[in-house]
Amino acid sequence: MMELFLTVFSAAFFVTVIRTTTPLLLATLGGLIADLGGALNVALEGMMLIGCLTAVIVSVYAPWYVAVLAGLGAGALLGLIMAFFAFRLKADIILVGFAINILAAGGTVFALALATGGDKGTSINLQSKAIPAVDLSFLSGIPVVGPTLSAFLSGHSVLSWLAAILVFAVWYFLYRTPWGLWLRGVGEYPAAPEAAGIPVNKIRTWSLIVSGALAGLGGAQLAMFNYVGFTRDMTAGRGFIALGAVLLGARHPVGALLAALLFGAFEALAVVMPGLFNDIPAELIRAIPFVVTIAALVLFSIRAQRALALRGVK
Amino acid sequence: MSTLPAIDRSSRFKTMRREVGRALGALVIALLVAFVVVLLTSKAPFEALNVLLTQPLSRPRTIGLWIDDIAKLTVTGLAFSLVFQARQFAMGVQGQVYIGALAATYVALSPLGASWAGIPLGIAAAMLAGAFYGFIPGIAKAKLGANEIVSSLMLNYIAIELCNYLVRANLPKPQAGVLTTNDFPDSAVFPTLVANTRIDLSIIFALVAVVLVWFALYRTSWGLKLRLVGHNARFAEYSGIKATFIMVSAMTASGALGGLLGSMFVQGQTYGKLTVLFEGGLAFEGILVAIVARSRPLAVPIVAIFYAYLRQGAQLMNIRTDVPAEVIGIVTAIIILLVSSSYSLNFITRLFRRGPAASAAPAAAGGAAK
Repeated sequence: MMELFLTVFSAAFFVTVIRTTTPLLLATLGGLIADLGGALNVALEGMMLIGCLTAVIVSVYAPWYVAVLAGLGAGALLGLIMAFFAFRLKADIILVGFAINILAAGGTVFALALATGGDKGTSINLQSKAIPAVDLSFLSGIPVVGPTLSAFLSGHSVLSWLAAILVFAVWYFLYRTPWGLWLRGVGEYPAAPEAAGIPVNKIRTWSLIVSGALAGLGGAQLAMFNYVGFTRDMTAGRGFIALGAVLLGARHPVGALLAALLFGAFEALAVVMPGLFNDIPAELIRAIPFVVTIAALVLFSIRAQRALALRGVK
Repeated sequence: MSTLPAIDRSSRFKTMRREVGRALGALVIALLVAFVVVLLTSKAPFEALNVLLTQPLSRPRTIGLWIDDIAKLTVTGLAFSLVFQARQFAMGVQGQVYIGALAATYVALSPLGASWAGIPLGIAAAMLAGAFYGFIPGIAKAKLGANEIVSSLMLNYIAIELCNYLVRANLPKPQAGVLTTNDFPDSAVFPTLVANTRIDLSIIFALVAVVLVWFALYRTSWGLKLRLVGHNARFAEYSGIKATFIMVSAMTASGALGGLLGSMFVQGQTYGKLTVLFEGGLAFEGILVAIVARSRPLAVPIVAIFYAYLRQGAQLMNIRTDVPAEVIGIVTAIIILLVSSSYSLNFITRLFRRGPAASAAPAAAGGAAK
């Protein structure tokens, strides 16, 4: 037990938590934007997965930032497809989302087999690149707090910093710009903005495109930093956990950050625990993030119901 | 007096014809897209297409595989149909399959499995376990408002990890290190109906399930209430139907079907034992079956016949040509997208005339093939 405490309060563990949180946070922000626009984006999982593979394959031929942009673009394109079928062709958005997930699960393996010449498991024989870590070791020059500061802040992916900025950017967009107000209005009660002459479907389409782009970015982080290379089904439910994180974070960007950190911390625990406790089976440790998601969802729902009861709504 | 049912029948026939036309149209479009993808990637595209479309019928063995898939796809399609009819998007069939399979395995490998009770008890245990697993997201939604999509998906992953763990650490194995259990005793494995094929009792169970689900949905008051809740939950609530009870019971019944599918997997001729990750993504393909069948139980097996054929064709194509079986994922996705949307054949022609917007559907395949 002592070792666990020492591990959890170390700088290395903090860096691990940030690493595991980043893809989740990006996907959660994506889910949040779609959710506030009134569409539950169940395709986050598939968008992340396709983002992963696109980023890995592009990174073989291009610099890392092009690969990251390609992952982002793939996600955005999927968002556009989703919007086209859901809003133009009036399909149920949840079914469209699952169609994208099925496309991603099969399509990525298919494309991987083509890209690697038959390997359906991993992209291990592709020379894919990694996103560079931001080195802030010069901070250790600061007296007293320097070394600690450097240990905690150094070594994060560029996208981790971007994700932190994005939390603020999304907050600013949602609560300080007219478009954010429109988006929230469209999600809350579409008839009102429609009557006010706001292009409801256009806003929803953009919210899905941005949502997909963020999920694709999360995929790029997953396949170019957390792991370098693609493995089939490597997102392993992160997109669905992100959906839970949106709800748990009370549909607010800061809440999304906290929820993503919570799930990221449990995923990081699942990473370090097998080394510490040999007697706890690895499978059960891997199930922790999913159990926590259900527990968090249930607890949050109880709280939300209490709040409704307090307001006298049944 | 006699005209009313006649009108009813003729309009029903018209609707059916339209639905069938839409489904076939979607199938053709999806296959065309898949063919373009194969054409771009394969060295022998025409051979691949030939294998996909004709080979499942080539031998008794492959026909057996096809029928086995029909049985399984029918049951998962029914499970999704039940919850879709109540407009619940519970996605937990995969988890129920694993939990049901675990329950069936514990029965089959116990002393009971070696007796005549191996099959009935195994199925009963699997259905009970699956029903319980379907009940959890239902009750969490009814009592707490917890989103059933997220909770059921999480339960899927938990069930898979639990199955991995129990197979590795708890269940008896032929030798250390393998990730399969001992073979079940013969008395716990479904007998074959046709010798030397995989055609076993599963197909009978699937057909019984079709009739039972149809009867429950269209000939009982529970089914009427369930469909009413699906159409308009608030109206159902106003008319005195306990909508939450209906939701929970629909998810529980669907869970029992998921559990049955689990037992069909491990007790069927295909495995006759439990191995990790045995399900291979089949459970989620029930979404396609349910959507194309418009959640009608009697249409489910018909859709399953077509889809199982494609699925087997893709497997054979994977073995005999250079095209991976996963290309079928693209077909599945396009069919779901088209059938669940308001596309009609006129709409497609209009789209093509307009030009740029039409690129969206092929772009789906293009995005994946990148």
